[in-house]
This record gives sequence, C-alpha cells and structure tokens, in this order.
Amino acid sequence: MQRDWADICGGLALAAIGAGAAGWAAVHYDMGALRRMGPGAFPVVLGSTLFLLGLFVALPAFARTDTAPKFEAKAALGVLGAILIFALGLPWLGLAGATATAVLVATLPAPRQGWVWRIVLAVAVTALTLLVFNLGLRMTLPVWPRMP
Amino acid sequence: MTTWEGLLFGIGFVTQPEVLVYCFLGVVLGTFVGVLPGIGAMAAISLLLPITYYVTPEAALIMLAGVYYGAQYGGAVSSILLRLPGTPQSAVTTLDGYPMAQNGRAGVALFTAMVSSFTGSVIGIVVLVLLAGWLSRAATAFGAADYAAMMILGLVAASTIGTARPAKGFAMVTLGLLLGCVGTDVNSGAQRFTFGQTELLDGINLVALAMGMFGVAEVIANVRNPARQGVMEKIGLKRLMPRRDDLRRMALPTLRGGALGSFFGALPGTGSTLSSFLSYSMERRIARQPERFGTGAVEGVAGPEAANNSAAITAFAPTLTLGIPGDPIMALMLGALVIHGIQPGPMMLEARPEMFWGLVASFGIGNLLLLVLNLPLIGIWVAMLRIPFNYLYPAILVFLCLGVYSVRGLTFDIVAVAGIGLAGYLLALARFSPALLLLGFVLGPLIETNLRRAFLISRGDPMVFLERPIAAGFVIATVALLLLPLWQAWRRRARASD
Amino acid sequence: MTAGARAPAIWKVAIAGNIVSVETGEVEEIPVKIQMTRRAVLACTAAFTAVPAFGQDTWPTEPLRVFVGFPAGSSPDTLARIVTDQLAQRLGQPVVIENRPGAGGVIGVQQMLVSAGDGHTFGTTINGPLTTAQRMMDSTGYDVETDIAPVTLIATSPLVLAVSADSDIADLDAFIAAAAADEEAIAYGSVGQGSGAHLTAELFATEAGVSMLHVPFTSYAEVTTSILGGEIDAGFMAPSAALPFVQAGTMRMLGITSAAPFAQAPDVPVLAGNAGLPDDFRAELWNAFIAPAGTDPDVIARLNTEITDIVADAAVQEQLLAIGWQGAPGTPEDLRERIVTDTAMWGDVIDRVQAQQ
Repeated sequence: MQRDWADICGGLALAAIGAGAAGWAAVHYDMGALRRMGPGAFPVVLGSTLFLLGLFVALPAFARTDTAPKFEAKAALGVLGAILIFALGLPWLGLAGATATAVLVATLPAPRQGWVWRIVLAVAVTALTLLVFNLGLRMTLPVWPRMP
Repeated sequence: MTTWEGLLFGIGFVTQPEVLVYCFLGVVLGTFVGVLPGIGAMAAISLLLPITYYVTPEAALIMLAGVYYGAQYGGAVSSILLRLPGTPQSAVTTLDGYPMAQNGRAGVALFTAMVSSFTGSVIGIVVLVLLAGWLSRAATAFGAADYAAMMILGLVAASTIGTARPAKGFAMVTLGLLLGCVGTDVNSGAQRFTFGQTELLDGINLVALAMGMFGVAEVIANVRNPARQGVMEKIGLKRLMPRRDDLRRMALPTLRGGALGSFFGALPGTGSTLSSFLSYSMERRIARQPERFGTGAVEGVAGPEAANNSAAITAFAPTLTLGIPGDPIMALMLGALVIHGIQPGPMMLEARPEMFWGLVASFGIGNLLLLVLNLPLIGIWVAMLRIPFNYLYPAILVFLCLGVYSVRGLTFDIVAVAGIGLAGYLLALARFSPALLLLGFVLGPLIETNLRRAFLISRGDPMVFLERPIAAGFVIATVALLLLPLWQAWRRRARASD
Repeated sequence: MTAGARAPAIWKVAIAGNIVSVETGEVEEIPVKIQMTRRAVLACTAAFTAVPAFGQDTWPTEPLRVFVGFPAGSSPDTLARIVTDQLAQRLGQPVVIENRPGAGGVIGVQQMLVSAGDGHTFGTTINGPLTTAQRMMDSTGYDVETDIAPVTLIATSPLVLAVSADSDIADLDAFIAAAAADEEAIAYGSVGQGSGAHLTAELFATEAGVSMLHVPFTSYAEVTTSILGGEIDAGFMAPSAALPFVQAGTMRMLGITSAAPFAQAPDVPVLAGNAGLPDDFRAELWNAFIAPAGTDPDVIARLNTEITDIVADAAVQEQLLAIGWQGAPGTPEDLRERIVTDTAMWGDVIDRVQAQQ
C-alpha cells in the first residue's frame, strides 16, 4: 500500500488539461457576451471547471492510500504500434498487407512464445478481414500492396 | 385509415414473402455490423444505399430500418462480451454487462439484453402507433432553451454513474464536454482546438473516441493478463439461462426503460443516448442496493437496453410524420426515399400511409425475428469468450480500425484511435469512467449550441429558461436533483442528533 | 518504358503523399516564367504529370473514382450518383463514389487531391469549397486556382425565403418592412456560419438595407423545426427542404433567389427587382464536376461533353429537380469564371459579416 497515485496523477493531469484548454481558449477565442456568447466562452468555463475538479480529485488523494496500478508498457507499445502501422500502411500495403503486418506487431507483447502461431494468426485474420470487409461489406480499399 | 385498419394493412404488407426477406436481411445484417466493433448502422446503411435503388421504396426502408435497430442488438453483444461499445448508448451496457461476463454470467447478460431490447421495442411500437402525432408535436414544441435545460438535467442525473467518487465522474463528464468543443463552432464558425487539421473541423470522430476509450484501452489492459490466456472452462447450459431471481430483477427496469426511451426517442438529437444513461441512473437511484451496480447488476443491463431500443423505434415518429430526421441515420433513410422520388415531409403519411404502417408492422416482425435469431446464438457468442485472448485481440484491433475508417474513409481517424486509446488506457488505470466521458462528448455540442441559441433568440434574456414551461420544468428538476443529496445529508444528521 | 514516361511516376508519388500544389513540385523542372498564364501551366502540367501512358482512345482504362464531400444519401451525393450512373454507361467503366464527408465539403476536395495523379480521380462539389472556404477556414490545404481543374457546372439551386404559415408576414414587402422596424426584429435561421444560406441572407439584408439576427443551425431539419415552433421568424432554405411544408400548409415562401422563377415552385416571386432589391440580385448554390489540376485536357474535354449531354437529358433534369437542383451545364471556362465571380461576390459578403462581429 502506498499513496493513491492513481487519483493524484489522474487528477493533476486533468487539472493541467483543464488549465491548458481554458488558457488557450481565453487567448485565442472571443468570449462574447451572454446575449451572443463567443466561441471562447464554453471552453474557458469548462476548462476552469475541469481544473478545479482535477484538483478536487488529486488533493484529498494525498492523504489516502491505495494500490498503485501497473502500466503495461509492452502491451501498450505493441497495440498502439499495430494501430499506427495499420493506419499509415493502409494506403501503401493495401488491406491485406496492412492487416497482416498489424497482426504480427500486435502479437509481439502476447505472452505465448513462438512464431508459428503468430504467422498462422496473421494469415487467418487477414483472410477473415478480406472476407468481411472486402467481399461482405464491399469497402473500397486497395487490397494488395501497391507496386512501386 | 384508422389505426386498426392501418395495422392490419401493415401486417398484410409485411407478411408478403418478398418484404419479409428484406426485413430478415436487414435485421441479420444489422446484428452482424452491430457486433463488429466500430461498424455501426450508419456505415452499414451507407454501404447498402446503392442496393436500395433496385427495390421498392417500402422494402428499402424496411430493410434499412432493420439494419438500424438490428445494430442495437448486435452492439449489446460486443459491449457485454468484449467491452467494445460502438455507440454511446451501448457504452451504458458495458457498465454492468461486461462485469457480468467476467463473472461467468455472459449468457445471462446477453439473454437480459435481448429480452429487454425486444420488450423495449414493443413498448416503442405501441407508443409510436398510438401517439405518433403527439410525439411529433412534442418534437416541434421543444425549443433551444428546452433542449439545453433537458440535456443539462441528463448530464447532472447521469454524471455520478459508473464511478465510486462523484468528483471523478464530474471530471470525466467535463472532459467529455471539453473534447466536444473541438472542431468548428456552429455559432461563430471559429475553429477551436483544431491546430490546422482539417480532419478535426467536424470534431473528433465519435466512433474513434468510443473505440479508443473502450476497445483499445481494454485490449492493452488484458494482453498480458494471465486470467485471459487460458481456455475458460466450458459453461454449462444451465449457467446460460437466467435464474428466477434474474427475471424478477429485470422485469420492472425493462418496463421503466422502455417507457423512458419511448418519450426521449421522439426528440431529435440524442434521445437514444440520453434515455439509456437516464434509465441506468434512475435504476441505480431507486435500487435497494445501489452498490451492486457496476459489478454486474442485471437491472443495469435491462433498463438501458430497453430504453435505447424503444427510443430507436419512436425516433421514427418525427421522421415519418414531419419529415424531420432526428439523427444522421434517419436523414440517410429519408435520403433513400428521395432517391425513389418520395418527398419526405408532413404530407408523406397522408400520401403514402402504406409506408408508415408497413414500417410499423416491420418493426414488430423484425424485432421478433431478432429475438428468435439471437436467443439461440447466445451459446455461440459465449463460446467466443473461450477463445484465448492471444488469438482474439489482434483481430479485434484490425476490425475496430476498419470500423473507424468506415465512418468517413480517413486514415487520420485510425491514427486518432491510437492516441485516444493511450489516453483511455491511462484513464482506465486511474479508474475514471469512459462512459461518462462519452456522454459529455455527445451532449456537449448540443448543450452548447442550444444554450447559445436560446440566448441569441431571447436577445440575451436568461428568463427564457423560466418562462418556457418545458425548460422551467427541467430547470426545477435539475435543481431538485442537485439539492437532493444535501437534503438527505441534512435529514440524516437531524435524525442522528435526535 | 521510356525515361520520359518514368518521371511522372515520381510526381504522382509526391502528389499522392500529401496535399501539395502541383506547381510546387514543378518548379524544379520547369522554368518559372512558363507559369505566366494559368492555361500555360495547365498545359505543361498536363504534359508532364498527366499519365501519358494512356491515349485519348484508351481512356478510361480503369474504374473512375469520384470524391464527394458529403455523406451517402445527402443531396450532393444523390446528385453525384444520378450523374455518374449515366457516366459509367457512357464510358464503359464503373464509377465509384467515394464519400469523404466533412468541413462543408472541403475534405472531399482534399481527398480527391491526395488521390490525384492516376488520371481516373475526380470529384463533385458544391460551391463552398471552391469559393468561400478559403475565406472561412484557417487553411483548406489547396489553392482553387492552381490545384483544381474545372470540368463543368452540373446544376444550380436557388434558396427560398420561408416563414411559418402562422406568421403575420404575408409577402416580401411586409417582410422587409418588419425587418426595417428594428435592427434585430427578424431572427432567421441558416445551416451554419458562412453557409450558403447565411451568406445569402446577409446579401439580401444588405441589398434591402435591413439588418436581421442570424441564428445558426446545423441542418435544414433543425431550421424547419424552429420556424414551425415559432422560435425564429424566417429562414433561407433549399426549395426541396421547404416545399413539403409549403404543400402541407405549414410554411409560406416569400421569394426565391434565382434570376428566373424556379421550376419546382413557379409561383414564388424572384427576389430580383422586387421590393426594392436590385434587378441583378441572384444568389445560387451550385454543384460542379472537378478534376485535379494536371488532368489531361482531352480527358476533361471528354468528361465535359459527356456530362453536358447527360444533364441535358430530360429524365436526368427531372431527377435533379426532384432533389432541388436545376441542371446548368457549361464549359470548363464557364465554371472557372463562375468560381472567380462568386468568390469575389461572397468575399464581399464575408467581409461585411466579419466586420459586424
């Protein structure tokens, strides 16, 4: 048991986001009047509220204890990497290429060892994806990698 | 045509084999796309639109409507099993449906969702048949001030659900409201927080937000979770079926949710989302053991599912009787009619009564088909949970990316999913409720534009919120809701000092 | 393949990678002085970047992609489908509609430019992204004059001035009189700040010498609800959005912004020359077929001929009218001219609107 880091960090992060948004909006957008509220009015009010709520979450937490959550860095890297590769690869690798690559990357943090199942899974998911989205839902996407 | 004649006509119309086939196709496809993370009714209907050129307008509308409410059923499946809500209203279903699945009661959760959805739809159909005209008048009677007041009430009522500490709930709603500000401001045309990205001009993509906050965050949290690696033990048929206790618990919430949804559904905009959140918070407020909510309470699945399905049905009231679509999906369906040379509008009901009654009857048949179709599928869905997570999650990721992409065909939105997913994972680690963020995000732009519009129209007079009876009612209810805990605390203290 | 045919492939990659002006890529290769006239640029661009592998007789060699900046089922989308349905038959190649909704149609144009370079990518768009967007947005990412090759205007749509049937305002004179009574006596709805409806209303107000309160909405459905509910007094609306309610007797149309009466509502008086408005008062939305700059001029000429033919067909005209558009095809030069004059006209209105704020 230690300090309630979840609430402390979460609260402070939200407070920072709130303050940042309110500050940015106050500088860049017009506040207007009640009769004709400007684009800045809402973000400034909401940002300030979020700032206060964030502090309200964080400050009492200093006096509390709780279990600290564990950040799964490997899992996050693998999953987010797979999504980014899929997004950026889609125009070049085509649906099939992007799917297979993304699946391989996504399985990197998986606890099960070995490569065979990863490749089999990549092929299977790719086939399923083509079946559902290309043949079934008729999404207009390039399927195969673009030839240079 | 009287109501009775109309209904008879409608039933006769829908039981024609050809129409029945389109209805069936619609609901099956709807369930299917609803289960797929991210692909919602909107994307499916857009993809189907060209096909509808070749069928009669009634059949086209019946098929598209089948996709629309069929997707609600499917959405519940992925929310319960995988915590992957495709829409804000099914985000509510994750609150208790997913814990139920984690406790080995996925079958019961699915059964509850389906039966409640069906019951909710039936309530919606009855209300639509009896009160279509009245509902439409209610929709036009609501002005900007009324909408703003109603949605603020909804936010206040819902913002404590799904979280142990109220401050964290309010913080998530506020963050959602703030995220809703991103994009072009309707009132001034100013581009807020877009940082030069054209893709952000219409705001953050809702599906990307839902998929990132729920799906991606959930996947990251479970990739290396040992509990999800092994094959779950086979679940016997007995555990798939609800106990008598479950049936007793779900009955009243279902009826209440259906009634709530049938009213809010008719209001253009977010009737469906608002009613499912309101139903959940209402059930938790009146429950004898509110602490059960969030850990797998049947009521928390039954109420919202009934509410969003009945809302999905009554949403057709203004669309059909006034020709005013309540949401983009309705607008899309009206667009399909226009292609067939039918001008949607207040005259449509008189000019083509077969359209209205055929559709109403198809709602009944379609929902029955959905129930018959889905109940036997429960076993198969639950079996999906026995697939080790290693094999499941890469497919989930690819499917949700494509679901997000299907909304408007921009890879920008997939990149956004990665960013939102990281934020969602961090928020989940700190035990903040993503459902509330989604609620704030959906209602935020509506509250802001309606509030500002109300002041604009009243030429800056805040009294508009008290002079309009509808708005005044919501304002009073909101104040009462805020004061209620204070009053309860005061009474407790008074009793303690006695 | 010859070296000459290879070079354009590199251009294609550059263009496809991000939204760059075709010219910025060209500066290295082509002496700057060649860029004297737009026509010369277009010709050079065509010579260097349009895929020379196909000749006029073989085009189209693959399905055409037409980007639409609005969702499936919307009026601009339906218009595009009506036209491309026929186009596909005439060209003997399928035409795929790519809906890329967002930012008032700007995303559609952007995405067309991202995919440009294969000689089979085109777009249809309403006037906004080609005329007012550059003024309303921080950056559209493209330059209409240098990045877009006009093909043809497809159709135009006027707007109608509509009030509730319960309103005391009987006709245009009464409307202007009511608006003149006080600066914000009349509240009108539009489909957004800087939308065609908003700018048209402001143009009307300026010409009529009155000032009205602008209440922005996001769709005609919302505007209609608000007018019927008595919250706002009037709206400049698409005829197809207002007509059903006029027929139902819940709305009244006071005037129309086209130069001549509109076929769908022939008895609604034109605003031009009425109630003290100038005789040349005209404000129309339009929808056009466009290509990325650098598209083979022969291809543009072919498309122009085909689409002009298609829109001239009576059945197509009728289909377009049903969704509120009046066929108005012309030459690429006509469209270019329309873009220039409308950009100037709406630019003035935007200046006035922004000055008011």
